[in-house]
Amino acid sequence: MPTPDLFPVRLSLEVAGLALALVLPVGVVLAWLQAHRRLAFRTAVDALILLPLVLPPSVVGYLLVIVLGREGPLGRALEALFDLRLIFTPAAAVLAAAIVALPLLVKTVQPAIEAVPAELEDVGRTLGLSPLFLFLRVTLPSSWRGMLAGVVLAFARALGEFGATLMFAGDIPKRTETMPLAIYAAYQVGNDRAAMFYVAVLVALSLLVVLLAARLSPRGLRT
Amino acid sequence: MTATGGFRVLAGCIVALSVSTLLACVNPGTPELTIAAASSLRTVLPDLIQAVPTSDLQVRATYAASGILRQQVAAGAPIDLMIFAADQPIDRLIQAGLADPETRTVVASNQLVLITPRRAPLITFESLGSLPAVSRLAIGDPRTVPVGQYAREALVRLRLWDRLRPQLVYGANVAAVLAYARRGEVEGAFVYATDARVAPDVVVADRASGDWAPSPLVVAALRQHAPAAAQHFLAFLLTDRAQAILRSKGFGPPPGHADS
Repeated sequence: MPTPDLFPVRLSLEVAGLALALVLPVGVVLAWLQAHRRLAFRTAVDALILLPLVLPPSVVGYLLVIVLGREGPLGRALEALFDLRLIFTPAAAVLAAAIVALPLLVKTVQPAIEAVPAELEDVGRTLGLSPLFLFLRVTLPSSWRGMLAGVVLAFARALGEFGATLMFAGDIPKRTETMPLAIYAAYQVGNDRAAMFYVAVLVALSLLVVLLAARLSPRGLRT
Repeated sequence: MTATGGFRVLAGCIVALSVSTLLACVNPGTPELTIAAASSLRTVLPDLIQAVPTSDLQVRATYAASGILRQQVAAGAPIDLMIFAADQPIDRLIQAGLADPETRTVVASNQLVLITPRRAPLITFESLGSLPAVSRLAIGDPRTVPVGQYAREALVRLRLWDRLRPQLVYGANVAAVLAYARRGEVEGAFVYATDARVAPDVVVADRASGDWAPSPLVVAALRQHAPAAAQHFLAFLLTDRAQAILRSKGFGPPPGHADS
């Protein structure tokens, strides 16, 4: 039997990487806002952010298709305005992975930011420092471990996305067939060698992630 | 809520969950006949089951891509009669000793068609070569779905397979492929003529005919030592009555049988 195709491995890493690039700025901003603002609808925002984590991936996939698919309101708008089609493209895989990874990032980074002693930031504010400066020079140095844990967990979640990816990006070998999809496809044809190979790669990567996150998280809560 | 109250609620939830899980495991009673049928037979098998001249025949039918069904049977699924959309999965089961070679029967034929969503531009098999790269076509996963294998066969013969590969979205079975087209997510899809007939929001753009066209078959076989009900049903499929029902749904006759 030929050696397993490495394309799904590369694609998965690219998709997860791009998803993380999307999720990191958005997630950190959201986490910071949730930690600092006493917004009236803070609980509602909290629930919305948590939703993709709790919903079955097939629900996320279905919603993506009916909103961003060719017949969906956003999908039609994108195609009409920018000649942009998302469904059944690698970009769709990135978007699906980003959506399910976002809650993990926010939920890990938010407590890390909240753990930064308020006095430090108050002092900074009385000295007239801007919020951005405060973030870069006070919040970030104190919470970077939690942030890194969030990044690592979000990357792992993005890497393992299956249901929403299958529905929104579709199964196109050598184009949108990430490792989880490739495992399922290999399993369906009885190609156990390929399936085991991808499983081994994903298990190894996930172990790495879990070990890293475990080393980082507890110390993130130390003041 | 007090600690005792909270504990009671928790206990209640655990009991409720356990009961519902146990209830779900209760066996509703064994059918006389279990059929594993290709997804493309969804349109016709219920009618065939109704028409069988035996009163109160308890039938359970499970539908999926033929390749998937073959795997399930090979893994030990309790199937009496297999009706697949290709000969290869049946023959593999025969080779594995799981199907009775004496009962292998071609019961009908089908036709590969290219469909488009209702309002989409019409395309033909031959015009697929000039499709823009952004277009997508839905095809059954050729690794497990016969209609996908037939479509690949046609595209290979038309020398379009390599060019179209990055644009082919795989569906797990023919119903999934049809759904992609019905939702308008793809410019075209490869399904059977029998599926296209009953789908209101798709249009048959082109039929596969000519020397490059595949000849889809519907092939059935019984498992070894199948019950009488299964043998009865298989024999029924070749009668004029059953063939008339198949014809009414768009299936063709088994090759070699003249249409009366």
